[in-house]
Amino acid sequence: MSSTYRTTGTVKGPPRLDPYDLHPEMAELRTLVTARDWPGVQAFFDARSQTDQTYAASLVSEMPGAETFLADAAARHPAAPLPRTLLAYRQVVIGWGIRSAARAQHVSRDQFRQFHDWLRRAEQQLIDVCAEQPGFPLAWYVRLITARGLELGQSEARRRYDRLAAVAPHHFAGQSQLLQQLCPKWGGSWELAHGFARECAAAAPNGSNCAVLVADAHIEHWLDLPSPEDQAYMRGVPVRDDLRFAAEVSVWHPDHRPDTRWTAAHNTFAMAFSVGGHLRDAARHFAVLGDRADPSSWKYLGDDARAVFAKHRKAALAAR
Amino acid sequence: MTAETRTDTTAPPTGLPAALEGLAGCTTTQGIPTLFAPRAGNEITAGLFFRVGTADETLATSGITHLVEHLALHRSGVSDTHHNGATAGTYTLFHVTGTEAEVVAHLNSVCASLRDLPLERLETEKEILRTEAAGRGRGVNHQLPLWRYGAEGYGLAAYSELGVWRLTPDEVRWWAQTRFTRDNAVLWITSDHVPEGLELTLPAGRRIPAPAAGSALPTTPAYIGGEDGQVVLDAVVRRSTAASLFTDVLGRALFQELRQEGGYSYVADADYSPRDADRATVTAFADALPQKQDAVTGAFVDVLARLRAGRIEPAELESAKSKALKSLEGPDVAAAALPSWALNLLMGHEIMSPDQHRERIAAVTVEDVRDVAREAWSTALVQVPGRDLAWAGCAAAPQYSPAAVEGTRHASLEDGRVTLVIGAEGVSLLLPGGPVTVRYDRCAAMTARPDGARVLTGLDGFRVEVEPTLFKGVTPERLAVIDAAVPQGSVVPLPPRDEVPRPQARSRARASGSRTVVSGSPAVPVAQPSTPGRSVLRWLIWSVTAFFTLIAVVLTLDELTAPVPDTDVLLGVWILELPLALASWSQWRTRPRA
Repeated sequence: MSSTYRTTGTVKGPPRLDPYDLHPEMAELRTLVTARDWPGVQAFFDARSQTDQTYAASLVSEMPGAETFLADAAARHPAAPLPRTLLAYRQVVIGWGIRSAARAQHVSRDQFRQFHDWLRRAEQQLIDVCAEQPGFPLAWYVRLITARGLELGQSEARRRYDRLAAVAPHHFAGQSQLLQQLCPKWGGSWELAHGFARECAAAAPNGSNCAVLVADAHIEHWLDLPSPEDQAYMRGVPVRDDLRFAAEVSVWHPDHRPDTRWTAAHNTFAMAFSVGGHLRDAARHFAVLGDRADPSSWKYLGDDARAVFAKHRKAALAAR
Repeated sequence: MTAETRTDTTAPPTGLPAALEGLAGCTTTQGIPTLFAPRAGNEITAGLFFRVGTADETLATSGITHLVEHLALHRSGVSDTHHNGATAGTYTLFHVTGTEAEVVAHLNSVCASLRDLPLERLETEKEILRTEAAGRGRGVNHQLPLWRYGAEGYGLAAYSELGVWRLTPDEVRWWAQTRFTRDNAVLWITSDHVPEGLELTLPAGRRIPAPAAGSALPTTPAYIGGEDGQVVLDAVVRRSTAASLFTDVLGRALFQELRQEGGYSYVADADYSPRDADRATVTAFADALPQKQDAVTGAFVDVLARLRAGRIEPAELESAKSKALKSLEGPDVAAAALPSWALNLLMGHEIMSPDQHRERIAAVTVEDVRDVAREAWSTALVQVPGRDLAWAGCAAAPQYSPAAVEGTRHASLEDGRVTLVIGAEGVSLLLPGGPVTVRYDRCAAMTARPDGARVLTGLDGFRVEVEPTLFKGVTPERLAVIDAAVPQGSVVPLPPRDEVPRPQARSRARASGSRTVVSGSPAVPVAQPSTPGRSVLRWLIWSVTAFFTLIAVVLTLDELTAPVPDTDVLLGVWILELPLALASWSQWRTRPRA
């Protein structure tokens, strides 16, 4: 957590997207994985908070070719939960890459078959990890993703989340995964999705990222609505007030401590306020972000996340 | 799978099993090994076990042991003594409680009946068994034996007693004479002596070992889809004290996880039942609210994975041990243990004294329980509601046969995607997902209705229904091919039905049949059943149409060549022709084709 948001970045510079650029301490992880240094990777994880561990795991899961190194580490350390969990996470990402992010009707039968094969492989290792070490949150977290991809059902996803929450309360990344499951596209409903987001926000300690889920749920809802209802939805006062409240208790709260997820949190609020036309609200987040863009928030508004971020930042800052 | 193929003789032990010295007496009564130990109270209980049960039958003779049991008890039916009979998978038990004289009288009566079955009662008892079967509730695991073992041996527990429709007095008498013998029996009595006056003379025979287990499951762990609201697992493990303790630990762990912590289930438990001399069946079950059943499946998988991983709290094992130890306490321990000792003697399984049993229990470690958990999972068959279980590493139990037979093809009149094949080797139903085949030489039973319907069940449990009214061109000649090929002993004639099925639209979902075969909705013109009456009608319509067409043509030519054509006649004759032509066309489209 060396990055503090008041010392680097400018509101005028070209947006930066690269996670290793935004979180320089993660560059060390990339070096360790590239060097196939398992003890180093293990030590890197051991030295970090749970939130940062989950983020680090997601970065490893995106590293092409990491699976051979992880499989080797898993074979060498059969009792350790981390190598198997990272390997499973990597397999999930490989599988999801084959499936693509398209809606189910646009995914071929063969893509689904391969996707499910990868997820099953991951899941079976995670069953063992969770059986051996139920107190290892990362495995439960990845099992929330496999549960969704393998369509194991709402109640099973919820059970996994409950197991995760029992060992790691207020696990924001896990909550984000369950929120996906609770959206109508994965068999849930808007009542469930918004209800869960509010529940997590209310239960979380002040300054935690959990309230960002309220914004995430509204963004999911907005994505699902046809035009122009989607615009009207985000412009609405109830959504604006929800977003303001969520931002106040999370990123604007005095207890908020930036971790690897702080840029993502501000990006989410900036994006949600921008779409709703609440530019002055958005501007506060842009001012803090400076040039730190998070592509996952902006991908819905265009393919070029940098350009989209710059455009909305400009509009928001001009409205101040 | 008939028992006469396995008639290895095991000499019935006559000496006292060493473990029981000082605990129980052992003798023979008219050649039947007899164990006895006293119990407090005025009444005594006795049990006469025979090593024959449903697993010894075939699908075509299923119910024969139950029939013998009923016939043997017929003469005692009106007595006041508390008695009962039970036919299980590998044994039959006659059980009685009363005064010494009552017990003696009852056992004497049972054996007298076994020597000379009241076969004049056969048809009545068959009717009673059919009524019993109709009213009998089925256990939660009633599907699993079929999928694990097919339609033979231990799999027959999943079937109704089909043989009751065809068994002859001679067959039933032969079964009693060869299975209910003094050498295939063990008697136990809760008394310090063998009562006077027992007259249990039975024919000599041989101790028949429990049947070997077949397998209809190529890969385990495996799963099948089942009803909503329940998850059932069965597994086959080596019989041991550790296996029995594992089952108790599993039952408690499921209850803890699914009911107490998750709140997903009301019932969650596990059961351990010896199957034969060496193996036991572990059954685990949990119910679920429909909206929670996916969580029940998930938690089930995780509980088993935890036990496999050996993450078993010492307290969990201790609880199971104290429960097991408690069952070995009490004033009449030996008398209470008599039935299980007698059964072990009969099955050829080791007999342990309570002290030996206590030592075994004490010696079981967490690692032993873990090893049983791994063994159980490696043989598991899980019935899950709704979804698959491939995600947990289980293979789908086979839904289709490896191959179809060659023969005449008969399209389904209900679903264009389904074809019945009647061949020289067997019958196949070609379903969209694959074939379901019963070969005549692997046919466990074929039921036959007077209307021509035949249902063939293979030893592997696959079933093909040949309904002449639901497939094209299933003529008496084609049925004769089947009838000639299926061994006579496997044919079960059934009485006429109230209603012969007629083709109708069925939901496509039902077409994905597995071991019970149904077919789906029509995608082709619905044809009429092929019956002689229909055939005559069809030819009549065609003849009338042809005749009327000829007249119409002649009349038309006549009128057209006339100086002043009568258009009313022309119009009238062709209007009359139209419905006939349509009727003929319809008959032509739906004519049966072999």
